[in-house]
Amino acid sequence: MIALYRIALVAARELRAERRQPDGVVAAVTFIAVLVLLESLVVGPQIARDADVASALFWLALAFATILATMRSFDRELEDDALEGLVALPGGRDALFGGKVLALAMVLVLVATVGGILSLVLLDLPVALPVHLIVVVLLGVLALPPIVIVDVVLALRLRARAALVPILALPVLVPQLVAATRGTSAALSGDAVGALSWAGLLFAFSVVYTVIGLTIVPAAIE
Amino acid sequence: MRTVQSGASLHDATVVLDDRVILRAVNVVVGPGLTLVRGPNGSGKTTLLRALAGLVPLARGDRRLAGDVLYIGHRPMLLRGLSARENLEFFARFRGGDTRAIDGALRAWGVGEDMDRPVERLSAGERRRASLARVEAERVQVLLLDEPFADLDEAGAVRLRQTIARARDDGRSVVVATHAHPELDDLAKAWIALDDGDATAA
Amino acid sequence: MTDTTISRGTPYWMPRIRPWLGIAAAASFVVASVMALFWAPTDAVQGNVYRILYVHVPLAWLAYLAFVVVFLASIGWLWTRNAVFDAIAVASAEIGVLFTGLFLVAGSIWAKPTWGVWWTWEPRLVTTAVMFVMYVGYLLLRGLSTDFSRRATRAAVFGIIAVIDVPIVHLSVLWANSLHQLPTVLRAAGSPALDSSMLLTLMVSLFAYTLIYAYFMSARVSLEVARQVRLWTT
Repeated sequence: MIALYRIALVAARELRAERRQPDGVVAAVTFIAVLVLLESLVVGPQIARDADVASALFWLALAFATILATMRSFDRELEDDALEGLVALPGGRDALFGGKVLALAMVLVLVATVGGILSLVLLDLPVALPVHLIVVVLLGVLALPPIVIVDVVLALRLRARAALVPILALPVLVPQLVAATRGTSAALSGDAVGALSWAGLLFAFSVVYTVIGLTIVPAAIE
Repeated sequence: MRTVQSGASLHDATVVLDDRVILRAVNVVVGPGLTLVRGPNGSGKTTLLRALAGLVPLARGDRRLAGDVLYIGHRPMLLRGLSARENLEFFARFRGGDTRAIDGALRAWGVGEDMDRPVERLSAGERRRASLARVEAERVQVLLLDEPFADLDEAGAVRLRQTIARARDDGRSVVVATHAHPELDDLAKAWIALDDGDATAA
Repeated sequence: MTDTTISRGTPYWMPRIRPWLGIAAAASFVVASVMALFWAPTDAVQGNVYRILYVHVPLAWLAYLAFVVVFLASIGWLWTRNAVFDAIAVASAEIGVLFTGLFLVAGSIWAKPTWGVWWTWEPRLVTTAVMFVMYVGYLLLRGLSTDFSRRATRAAVFGIIAVIDVPIVHLSVLWANSLHQLPTVLRAAGSPALDSSMLLTLMVSLFAYTLIYAYFMSARVSLEVARQVRLWTT
């Protein structure tokens, strides 16, 4: 109970700071918006409207947006050693990961909503199964932060960490990206069974990696 | 076995950072009262406090603790975007304590006017004062203060000395690492001299 | 917290058996190569090209074996803080990245005459390619970390997560492809049905390559332990 309460406190602290100084959200939303715009310019509006292409680019953009937002969040923690203040608290080490996952998932819901609406409007994507689409996107958004947070923690204070984090995170994210892309594409093109099975898989991924992160991240923070 | 008293100790503790030995087989026992850690720059004062706080891994040896620890490093450790009050409320709630003492503590430290402004808009001295207010706001038994006089003006330094004296009188264990400030000497019960990673009780 | 244990050097028998291990590895490699090139019969469908199988399959086995060793050594380090586990992990990762790279090259060489392309999105190849990138990331993370125990811990955490991830990557690629129906020729990728002399040759090759891995490991682990000893005694 106390562990959950502490996780909630860390998440609330993060969200409050992000609301006051929305660097992470702004960077992530801008990034995804630029990418959606560029997508249709670069590959041409006809191909960009393809359900597979649009979903793939959306999720790749969201993966990078997650990395941006997470790195921004930890940059803020490193200013004035705020992270140290948290880790020095009894139980702080254990609450850090859970709190960050919770807060970043919420931030990403916002980013994904803006990016998703932009994609739908700009690319004029037909949505066959809107409810399925929302479920897939929500579960996909939950599946990204655990791994990205672990990798940002591993690269903390290292030189060249901006390059290191994507190199560490993206290969590990392959299953999440595959599942989210296929699920989104299925929901766009009207394959209900496909969308739901990929959504189930995404849910399993977020549970598995959250549990791994909760177990292993405290050891990685010094 | 000692009776339960607040305190922290390191036994045969060796700390290696960036492949350099920072603390070498250090034995330190800190109990109620004020303990001063002295030593030149780079002698390992900060690492000793961080080791007591459990913030650096020990390559060898172990750490024992009786009571919770409040560690205040030489940066204020407040999260930007939040106000001083919100930062302190977070710390107090996280420890499962109440937040009643926070306003009073911040006011006593002279940041009463500014306690609702985001900490990045405070001066370095004000941030330092806000972080030192945690000593009164969190009521933790073991206090580890790393160069707490940094950024403080004279009034702040006087206030800090009073705070340390009061914490000592309450039976809390206070450890202060500083290379100067002889005005604390008459409050201190024990001294630890650090020289290039070797600690000697003085 | 558990103490960090530093070994006083490699066990005394290690340097003594290493030359023999090397000789055994070299000898069995020669035997395996001769068997693979001259003794094993030519494949009815693929002709002589299939003989690269005797390199390709052992390389794949070593790539995965090395990765699993990284995983076990990582757990060992986090659990016991015995520095020898970190030496094993880095040794296995470096050797693993070599074999994984060779596997991908051998796969390409095999793919060109059989399928007419240098690269196919066959699930096993894709998984191994992803694994290769993870290995590279693992070594980069190590290279950028400066402090011994922090490096060991961070690398161990990544090592554990990466290895858990590999089968999941494989399954996800497999499922994604099964929905998209790859051309059947690509899915028949692996091995043609092997007759008994082919199987024997493959077994000898696997044995030879495993000895090579063991030989490399013994050399690389000793080197790393020697480094640790020097680091911790100065």
